[in-house]
Amino acid sequence: MSIHTSTKQAASSSAPAASASGPRRIRKPASELWLRNITVGTVMVSIVALLLIPIGIALVGSFHDWNPLNGTFDFTGIDNYVELFADATFWRASANTLVFGILAIVGRVVLGLAIAYALFSKLSRWRTFFRTIFYLPTVMPLVAVAFLWKLMYNPQFGAINTLFGLDINWLFDPRYSLLAIVIMTIWKDFGFAVILFLAGLYAIPEDVLEAASVDGANAWRTFWHIILPLLRPMLFFVVITSMIGYLQAFVQVLVMTNGGPGTSTQLISFMIYDQAFVKYDFGYASAIAFVLLVATAVLTAASWRMNQSAIDTPRRRRATKRSEKRPS
Amino acid sequence: MIRPKRRVRVAASIAAATVIAVSLTACGGGGSGGVEDTEADKGLPVAGVNLTYDPNTLVNDGKPIELEWWAWSNIEQFQAIADAYTEIHPNVTIKVVNQPWEDYWTKLPLELQSDGGPAIFNVHNSQHDNLIAKMEPYDIDPADLEADYTGAAAHVIDGETYYVDLGLMSGSIYYNTDMWEAAGLTEADIPKTWDEFREVAKKLTIREGDELRQAGFNFNGAGQAMQMGMAYQLGQNLFAADGATPAVDNQANLDVINRFLDIYADGSGDADFGASATESFGQGLSAMTYAWGWFSGTLRNEYPDLKWSAFQTPVPSGGETPYAYDRYNGESTFGINANASDAEKAAAQDFLRYYLTDEESMKELSLSFSIFPAYKPIADDPAFTEDPALAAFGDIERYIWPGPVPSTFETSTATMWEEILFNGVAPEDALATAQKTIEKDLDGKGFVPTEDLYPFYAAD
Repeated sequence: MSIHTSTKQAASSSAPAASASGPRRIRKPASELWLRNITVGTVMVSIVALLLIPIGIALVGSFHDWNPLNGTFDFTGIDNYVELFADATFWRASANTLVFGILAIVGRVVLGLAIAYALFSKLSRWRTFFRTIFYLPTVMPLVAVAFLWKLMYNPQFGAINTLFGLDINWLFDPRYSLLAIVIMTIWKDFGFAVILFLAGLYAIPEDVLEAASVDGANAWRTFWHIILPLLRPMLFFVVITSMIGYLQAFVQVLVMTNGGPGTSTQLISFMIYDQAFVKYDFGYASAIAFVLLVATAVLTAASWRMNQSAIDTPRRRRATKRSEKRPS
Repeated sequence: MIRPKRRVRVAASIAAATVIAVSLTACGGGGSGGVEDTEADKGLPVAGVNLTYDPNTLVNDGKPIELEWWAWSNIEQFQAIADAYTEIHPNVTIKVVNQPWEDYWTKLPLELQSDGGPAIFNVHNSQHDNLIAKMEPYDIDPADLEADYTGAAAHVIDGETYYVDLGLMSGSIYYNTDMWEAAGLTEADIPKTWDEFREVAKKLTIREGDELRQAGFNFNGAGQAMQMGMAYQLGQNLFAADGATPAVDNQANLDVINRFLDIYADGSGDADFGASATESFGQGLSAMTYAWGWFSGTLRNEYPDLKWSAFQTPVPSGGETPYAYDRYNGESTFGINANASDAEKAAAQDFLRYYLTDEESMKELSLSFSIFPAYKPIADDPAFTEDPALAAFGDIERYIWPGPVPSTFETSTATMWEEILFNGVAPEDALATAQKTIEKDLDGKGFVPTEDLYPFYAAD
């Protein structure tokens, strides 16, 4: 007798009578419940220990003058926050983070989607080859990629100026330095977006595309009116994960420009690092981190709402149409 | 119930995981595969003058012990010193670990804070506040240290010493002698004033059309090193008369900035001509640069074929002795980790005495860093007068030590120079921002400058 059958029998023998309103509830065996509790408990403990407690400590710390090296931990109220909002470097870093985030997200989504669609529709024979090629940068360590691009950007012997016949001081000219980091970031990350979008494209039912073809829709209309709306969940996922990631971008700045020239590539995460691990002002760094946390949460929630309303609007329209058709 | 076959597999997996975990956790320091030492009498003389070292002892009772020593430069040199010590005490292995400067001051304080870290670590006095709480005092009588080491008394805290100066370092102008000759310049052309310097820089500049091929003078990435010292030439202290307020945003510093901007405006250099002036000089692309003594070692080690010399930093007015030529700072001896085991600390203290009384090593280190040696027994060695960067200083009496200045001065002035050179920020505004940043960073630190100890000190 299989375990499956015996479990079912055991369950049915001990099951309460089914209610008239719903399906009969099956009581799970004790071992299964025990395993579930252990698993869920472990996850919960991990979340509390590794996430919530550190966040709590940081929140408390943000209201203190806190230097762990000399043991300073003096309550200062909202001084760190007051100082932060009057700090020109913070606003510069915020603006840089916003610009960096928008450019990197747009670049990653547009490039990722374009290449995924090309592989899906036109280059299907080369799909595996290109998918591998584009995905390679994603699995490379970010530090190594940043060092590589730093060399490529060198104004005197770098590959980029040499190949394209340019004379640009990529990392030391404030007109280009942030853009240079954005380009490197897109190069590193777009491969993963390609994989995700390809998965989304394969999930589109073939008969829908065939129906569009039969109805005479050209490639552009098919993409714009059928593929893109059906890809919305994947698009939303890529945008949200990119946004959360890019708001915390740090390694590429540390390696390539160290926030310079001046403060022209200083991002919020780099500022947190600088305050915490260079100046050892943990209180101020915690205040910046909390502002970043709130900003990320607000932007994520706003994106979520926008996505939901974009999904709900056509539904509402259809519902309205149906109600109009109904005879009164 | 798990089947027998699966049970074997599970057991094997657990065993493998355990082996991996154990092998990973066995990577801690302190253990050693070294040999035992049974011979206390090495037949070697006692070294030193007032501070002495007797090698005829057993360290750690002759049992093997391993120490880790962190450093950010001159790794081979430090390892050679450690190996020479191991020859005397074969049971002691000292491994010098290279931690680049960029990471050093993030990693080390955090390692020490977490009660870990190396047994021995090189110190820079700008990080004094971040290290001192985790440092073991030297097991040496401060009077003996003071007798043999210049300036050791300045490092005594509550009767204890945690590190002293290996020597005194300052800045000078390094120049490429081949380029100097090619430009038709001789010894007589070595500039004494900044105006003369500006003209020499023009002569050393090579352009092809609009393209700069050879910079006459390059200070990219070195602005912060110059800034703090050059204001002294104009009589401006780094701190106000109250001995607490940083004095950065002032006319003297503005004049210094404009002087160097004028040299670039002449076309003798360019902000886009490489990110690092010292690298550019080493690669033979720039004829002159300003650097501190450490650069001599870099040139000898990394650019051995480059022909170079150095001259004293020019002054504002010819024939006049400035308030101070420049600032100087001490290159520090190593510190001992207070969290190390007693056995490691005892071995480190023994090695410290060896290190501080080893004349040959002290001489080599001093020459490598181009520092005036603090170790008095070697101070008159003729090798120091032959070192171009040391000879450039002339009389060290006219150099000022502001104290172990916190690193914010250097980092904030570095940012200031980048804002000016690359972001088009007006010098006045960049100075004001630097002043604010430094004030914020120093707030509550209780730093006390030592400018008033300068024999020619005059409050602003």
